[in-house]
Parts: sequence; C-alpha cells; structure tokens
Amino acid sequence: MPAPAATYERVVYKNPSEYHYMKVCLEFQDCGVGLNAAQFKQLLISAVKDLFGEVDAALPLDILCYEEKTLSAILRICSSGLVKLWSSLTLLGSYKGKKCAFRVIQVSPFLLALSGNSRELVLD
Amino acid sequence: MVRFKHRYLLCELVSDDPRCRLSLDDRVLSSLVRDTIARMHGTFGAAACSIGFAVRYLNAYTGIVLLRCRKEFYQLVWSALPFITYLENKGHRYPCFFNTLHVGGTIRTCQKFLIQYNRKQLLILLQNCTDEGEREAIQKSVTRSCLLEEEEESSEEAAETME
Repeated sequence: MPAPAATYERVVYKNPSEYHYMKVCLEFQDCGVGLNAAQFKQLLISAVKDLFGEVDAALPLDILCYEEKTLSAILRICSSGLVKLWSSLTLLGSYKGKKCAFRVIQVSPFLLALSGNSRELVLD
Repeated sequence: MVRFKHRYLLCELVSDDPRCRLSLDDRVLSSLVRDTIARMHGTFGAAACSIGFAVRYLNAYTGIVLLRCRKEFYQLVWSALPFITYLENKGHRYPCFFNTLHVGGTIRTCQKFLIQYNRKQLLILLQNCTDEGEREAIQKSVTRSCLLEEEEESSEEAAETME
C-alpha cells in the first residue's frame, strides 16, 4: 500500500539576528591609563572614522556595558557593520600617544551566548 | 577576457558664480575629489578609489567633467560627490555642487549621452533666452546640430542596409 503523502515544510534562517555582539577588552602597554565610557566610545568611533570615513563612523554602535577597572565592554553593532568595526579595532594602535591594543574575546549574533565563555572555564 | 573594467561618471559642475567654472583645473579637481573620498570613506576608500582614478575630460565653459574609476569601487566615488560643496582656487572659495548626469562603462557611451544632453540643453536655452542676438545664435546652433543628427542617422541606416 503506498504511504500517504507527507507534507514537508522547510524553514531556512539566513541570519535571524540583525545585530552582532562583541566582547572586547582594551589593553595598554603602560598601566595607569583610565577611560570613562564616553571616552571609550569616542575612541571606537574615531578608529572607525580613520579607516572607513565619516559614512561608516555613523553606524549605530552601542556600548551595552562597560567596566572601567578592566577596560572591557560589550558592544552591539548591526550585522552589516561587524567586519568594518572588527577591522578598525584591529588596526587601532594608540590612544593619546599611548600604545594600546583591542583584544576581541567573543563575538556572537546572540547576546545570551556572551554570558558564558568556554575559554574561561575553570575545571576543578 | 581579463582586463580592468572602469566606470565613467559624467558630472556637471553647478555654481552661482561664473568665475567658478573658469577656474576649473584637472589637478585642482582631482585633488578635491580625492580629499572628499578620504574624508567620507577613510583610508580604505581613499586607497581603493585612487588606483584607477583619473579626470578624463574637462570643459571649463559648460562645466562638464568626466571621471574614471574602477568598477568595483565606483559607488564609493559616486557617493562622495554630493559632499563637495566648494571649489578652492588661489585662495578664493566658490560654492558649487556636482550633478551626476550619467554613469557609463566606456567613454563612447558617455559621449553619446553628452551629445543628446547638449542638444536638449540648447532647446531649453532657446526657450529661456531674452536677447535677440543670443536667440539667433542659439537657433543657428540648434539647426546645425539637427543637420548633424540627420547625417548620423542616415549613415547608421546605410551601414545597416549594407549588412
């Protein structure tokens, strides 16, 4: 007896999330340099403006949380601007004459994924 | 086959000041466009657009400019043109803006478009002119251009019938 025809439905998600979230940390060569949240954002925008100009410096970039002691932050950028932001963070070399570098710890299209990081997992 | 493809942007320089067009120079214009691209699109845009960039044709009387750029980055150049607001020459600043008329893949297509555009502009000038002497001069140019247009069409038809 032939099997009854089954109806299939295929759902394809290309990229359900329109934002990407990055966890970054700023490292200075000398210690004792502090930035508040506004200066941090100004540094990010000037990095993008240097490399990609005023048009891309106007991308909607948000700092969701910022820790002044460790200089680490969680950023949100629209998905089309992720590559531009990441490349301009890579090429940023100095802040007010002092050498620094951005370390990108985690990138994910979902904010929940940034809450746990298997690299920092401590096994007892 | 394998070759570098370009895009040619046909632009018109529009300005209130009549001295602005006369002070147009291809080096001045080239540096102005490059500076604007560097401001708008950063070091990446400046480097990408300046490889194949050249000012191919410049007419100081009508203010028509033909810019060449690589096909992959012509949108960066095109989007930076509206941000040019003034022309600086010998310490004088003339406010102006660029109107892009046509984007073509070859100089020949841009030239064909420019010929038709100029014919239409002559007719508009004829409607708007007030002086009798000017009117006669423009009417002569219009009839001359119509004769040339008929000659071109007949030569094209002759070529088609030959094939």
